[in-house]
Amino acid sequence: MHIVDGALAGEVVIGGAVLAAGGIALGLRHLPLERIPAAGVLSAAFFVASLVHVPVGPSSVHLILNGLAGLVLGWAAFPALFVGLLLQAVFFGFGGLTVLGVNTVAIALPAVIVHYLFRRGVTQGAPLSAAIWAGMGGALAIALTAGAVGAALALSGAGFVPAAKLVLVAHVPVMAIEGVLTATAVYLAAQVKPDLFDTLKGRSA
Amino acid sequence: MIRTGVLLLCLALAPLSAQAHRVVAAAYPAGEMIEGEVGFSNGDMAAHQLIEVFGDDGTRLGEAMTDANGVFRYRPDRQGRHVFRADLGAGHVAEFELGADEIAAILGQPADAPAASLAGLSEADRAAIASMLRDELRPLRREIAALKERNGMQSILGGIGYIAGLFGLGFYLAARRRLRG
Repeated sequence: MHIVDGALAGEVVIGGAVLAAGGIALGLRHLPLERIPAAGVLSAAFFVASLVHVPVGPSSVHLILNGLAGLVLGWAAFPALFVGLLLQAVFFGFGGLTVLGVNTVAIALPAVIVHYLFRRGVTQGAPLSAAIWAGMGGALAIALTAGAVGAALALSGAGFVPAAKLVLVAHVPVMAIEGVLTATAVYLAAQVKPDLFDTLKGRSA
Repeated sequence: MIRTGVLLLCLALAPLSAQAHRVVAAAYPAGEMIEGEVGFSNGDMAAHQLIEVFGDDGTRLGEAMTDANGVFRYRPDRQGRHVFRADLGAGHVAEFELGADEIAAILGQPADAPAASLAGLSEADRAAIASMLRDELRPLRREIAALKERNGMQSILGGIGYIAGLFGLGFYLAARRRLRG
């Protein structure tokens, strides 16, 4: 899922960095004191999730968990996922430092979109329906991320259709796994710590 | 209890499964050729992959194809640094190089090469020994490359530590601002 150094054209890299900087600034403004620990935990979860690989054919893909981060954090997913990506690049060599902006946008923007689409479904209703909405959100976030990665590759010259198809097909199993995982996490949170989403409901603006 | 178990399982499996996903590539002198290999860090080799060769100034010098084992050979015909580039698709690009001095050694095949102990050997014997040695060293090289790619427990825990520290710092700053205001 991470795009590596050297795969993208310069314009795409710069555009991604600008967009990411904007998203991070916006996210920091949307990060009240009370949510900083949650952001930290999700950032750490994202950091470790990338190490859980799912073998697909000759290659393998890994968990991303950006849907869950988006549902809980909203715009604050941008700084949280950026920190995770930065440390992945430094510690594991996933992606690279120059493409950090593009990767941040490709992973955090779907999180924000999912937040706006599914927040209502997750914060209202019984734990079970919340879990179903969350599962859909988790799967959609992966699909959007795969689309964004395909688009970034396409803007850099690789034919969009084959590139996006390849990325999308590879991530169908991840979509399923992430959907189930996100649904489980939200179900658990709704059972044992419903206020995780209550505070979120309170500050919806 | 179950959650703790799952977490422990994930942590235990993480270092094992952390190897895929990256492209590993290397080139090294092999007699008067350049030999190299391209593969993924999980051990799969990139078979029948186009390798493009560029000079120091970015001009395209030529190309090579990997065989079924991900190994390619390229015969250099000019001096200077050689940069090899393989585009494996879906954003997997590997770029690796061979320095000017190594290229010079390949092209020159200098006469001072045979060491004293090899003096009695014929040209053919030396070539045979060299190729044998390369075959022997190849698995070692591959293992070292795989080792470089491994994410140890230290880096995982270190990264989590950094995250805790960063967000703790942010929490501190935000709290200080609030207490002041």
